[in-house]
Amino acid sequence: MEKILNRIHLVSDPEATYFLQVSWEKDLGTGFSILLSDGQFSWAGTVSEAEISREAADMEMNKEKYVEELKKALVTREESAGKYNYLISRDQENVVCQFSYERSLKDGSFRLGSVKLQEVPSPAKVVKELIGYCLDSLGKLQAKNEHLQRENERLFSNWSDAEKRLEKCVEAKEKLEADLYNRFILVLNEKKAKIRNLQKLLNEAKESAADA
Amino acid sequence: KAPDLSSVNKVSNVFEDVEFCVMTGTGKYTKSELESRIAECGGSVVQNPGPETYCVIAGAENVRVKNIIASNKYDVVRAEWLLQCFQTKMLVPWQPAVMIHMSPDTKEHFAREYDCYGDSYTANTDVAQLKEVFSRVKDNKAMPLDIIAKIEERYSWNSCQLSIFRGNTIYVDCYAIINEPKSKIPAIALSIRALELRFYGGKVVSHLVEGVSHVVIGEDHSRVKEIKALRRTFRKKFKIVTELWVKESVEEGVAKNENQYLV
Repeated sequence: MEKILNRIHLVSDPEATYFLQVSWEKDLGTGFSILLSDGQFSWAGTVSEAEISREAADMEMNKEKYVEELKKALVTREESAGKYNYLISRDQENVVCQFSYERSLKDGSFRLGSVKLQEVPSPAKVVKELIGYCLDSLGKLQAKNEHLQRENERLFSNWSDAEKRLEKCVEAKEKLEADLYNRFILVLNEKKAKIRNLQKLLNEAKESAADA
Repeated sequence: KAPDLSSVNKVSNVFEDVEFCVMTGTGKYTKSELESRIAECGGSVVQNPGPETYCVIAGAENVRVKNIIASNKYDVVRAEWLLQCFQTKMLVPWQPAVMIHMSPDTKEHFAREYDCYGDSYTANTDVAQLKEVFSRVKDNKAMPLDIIAKIEERYSWNSCQLSIFRGNTIYVDCYAIINEPKSKIPAIALSIRALELRFYGGKVVSHLVEGVSHVVIGEDHSRVKEIKALRRTFRKKFKIVTELWVKESVEEGVAKNENQYLV
């Protein structure tokens, strides 16, 4: 079971904050549950797979595409802030609440879905559950953060170690090369000295032959 | 004390009429073992070198060997040479490597044949011999990179895959403050590029001064403006390239044209 908790604001009343929890099994397309709370009152309801299919058909939309829209509207809100509108209408006694979500367009909007929610008798329990969910998420994130930090430190130390070792290899190569070239030059120059000497001897022999 | 060699079976005539004086044995063969093997090859052995002695054999250097060397009358040869003769069943010509000491005559002969490092003037060399010769070069001052570059150019070795960046002087932009080696940015990929440049023959400098041929830039372009301003003050202009120039040159094994990597 997957769960996501978001904060939503209403177009009609931007000051009011609602907490929207959506939970689903595996995929949003196979139905999901909604828990809505304003901190005081809470309402719950479900959207079945059949309803999702019907909504998609009513809008003459491919079901997959419709589910993608639902995800954007209800789950990954951060990226699409402002692109979706939420409407909430509650009765006087707060027993029933109509929750609708729509995609806002340049000119007007079109409704993605609407669900009738019933009041949850113990709102304190709902708030407790929501806070619990937040704390759990926080704990998980903290653990993950620590793990990543450790991992990062490990990678960093491996990197500097490898860099140091590589530098040693490069130094050794430079040294070996410079040393071999030095020896090579000394031996090569010995050969050249010999050639010069032989040239000198040859010239001397030529001169003495000419003299004779 | 002379060993009794009368019972030795002669197996060859390699050392026919050759007189040796074995001073010391090696770790593997004792003095008397070496002596009896000389006898097997038809040679004769004396305990003190005389006018007829071909050479003195020494496996290890001791006081007696040192005295012989000091007298400067005899050739002192390593026992390894003797073993080579036994193995090949022939009188192996002396090479500088086997000579511990040479008499003046032999020295003169060697001077005609070999240079002072023991490399023959006439005979071809091979890897093992050249290693030997190189090991006898004691003057091991390191050769500066620019001279190496000249040598490689002269002998057309500059197409070698390890000389991709030869002749280039490169400043790598891995310091947070230009020309401040203390401000080196830790663990950046650019420092690996600097090592690659060095590995493939480049000269990497920590100061951006006149004479630098290239400046290599990483992802961070924040210092480019300052580098360009510095370039305007230089007579010889350097090229500013991205680290891709290093990467792709190394991958392809040749220095790529800088123009497609200019910043």
